[in-house]
Amino acid sequence: MRTALLLLGFALAACAADQAVIEKGRQEEQRTCLPCHSLRIIHTNRLSRAGWNKELDKMAGWGTKYTDRDAILEYLVATYGDDKPVAPPDMSADGRAKK
Amino acid sequence: MLTAAAARNLKAADQPPAIAGKRPMILHNDRPEDLETPVKYFDTWVTPLDAFFLRQHLPRPAIDPAAYRVKLNGLVSKPMDLSVADLQKLPQHTVPATLECTGNGRAFYSPKLPGIQWGRGAVGNAEWTGPRLSDVLKLAGVDTSAKFLEIDGADSGVMQTPDFVRCMPMEKAMHPATLLALKMNGETPDIHGVPARLIVPGWDGTSWVKWVVRLTPAAKESGGFFMNPGYRYPKYALPPGTPARPAELEVIEGMPVKSTLTSPEDQSKAPLAPMVIRGFAWAGENAIERVEVSTNGGATWQNAQLSAQKLPFAWRLFTLNWTPKDPGYYTILSRATDTAGRVQPFVPAWNPSGYLWNGIDKVGVTVEKA
Ligand code: HEC
Repeated sequence: MRTALLLLGFALAACAADQAVIEKGRQEEQRTCLPCHSLRIIHTNRLSRAGWNKELDKMAGWGTKYTDRDAILEYLVATYGDDKPVAPPDMSADGRAKK
Repeated sequence: MLTAAAARNLKAADQPPAIAGKRPMILHNDRPEDLETPVKYFDTWVTPLDAFFLRQHLPRPAIDPAAYRVKLNGLVSKPMDLSVADLQKLPQHTVPATLECTGNGRAFYSPKLPGIQWGRGAVGNAEWTGPRLSDVLKLAGVDTSAKFLEIDGADSGVMQTPDFVRCMPMEKAMHPATLLALKMNGETPDIHGVPARLIVPGWDGTSWVKWVVRLTPAAKESGGFFMNPGYRYPKYALPPGTPARPAELEVIEGMPVKSTLTSPEDQSKAPLAPMVIRGFAWAGENAIERVEVSTNGGATWQNAQLSAQKLPFAWRLFTLNWTPKDPGYYTILSRATDTAGRVQPFVPAWNPSGYLWNGIDKVGVTVEKA
């Protein structure tokens, strides 16, 4: 019983830590990923950890500067991992009257 | 702290924006714009501009047609800068041709691949008008030692993002159907790459450089990221999910044979009554010979009716009149064959960038008692 509670305690702590890291990653994305494109092109992908890792390397090669690369990787894997369902894409609003 | 611009961008990401001149489109990205045509919009041979798909690699350049110049340099006897007026003075030709994004259908590959998750609508058929690229190159006295042409678009990257530069063999550059288009469907939509867009009929969309600002004939093949490692396809098929073998990747040129069903809409309902199955088929540099349709998941096939014009480069529309016998769910398939005998496969080869999806198309329809 004690061990079980202890384990549960550890699990909750780990989960809370994950949430904090993921939140940090979300902020890192807002800081580092917007100069060249909007976030849609990121959020429509579903990739494995290795896949996201490669994307982060590719973007770094093009000039992206990370302050917390680990956090953004955790955030991307947790939110847009290849085990996550694909959301139907949005439709743009009607732009025919717009010049 | 978010900068004001970043905050605006975030807000923009929440509410799908309207894209100037476009109907509601499948929105893969808004900055730069990557828009897919919903297949239900495809009901004409020429795709209207307000429904034509958009693919952008880099932030869209601001275009001033009056100041616009196309520079000709490299292996030419008379280097020059051509204005839009200079290009308008050359004989003008119109070529109908189907333009398809190299990654159209990427979303259907498994395992998944990074990139725009295009479904079936990153394709369109338009009438392109402008001088032949060969006439433009001849003006500058292109040298016979030139075997390749390097083409630079006005779009350039942010920070160290690579510039959009492509390269193609001189033979295709000098082909009479290869144009520097000043017009698309008789109009000048700069979002689609005019005042000077390269038209490379039958080849993948990436070759059709938008906003051409430099043409450089050269002895050797060149080009940056968007030629290598970008836009290459394995010479020998790979097991799905395995890494590319860089030495065995080849530049993509002509596109494969393909068909797309536009009606009935996938997962729609229809009354138990006669209906028309519709779609379009195209085959890169070839013309379409035949389209077969199955209404029973591929157990049996019938030839569809094809629109009369049998052209290389441009799609043909197909129809099949069909009267379902019973209510229930039907799986409808379409399979195209081209003039060279190429046939659409059941399973397109997975490849590490998710290019050239051309699997037999499939829609499901539930037929209900009227
Ligand atoms: C220096 C500019 C730049 C920054 C900053 C940047 N990207 Fe990109 N990214 C690009 C370009 C350019 C493309 C499109 C390439 C193309 O269309 O061929 C792209 C495309 C992508 C794609 C689509 C797949 C692909 O590889 O084409 C993903 C996913 C992506 N970026 C993720 C990110 C993430 C995550 C960040 C922040 C960590 C980020 N990007 C920051 C330039 C940038």
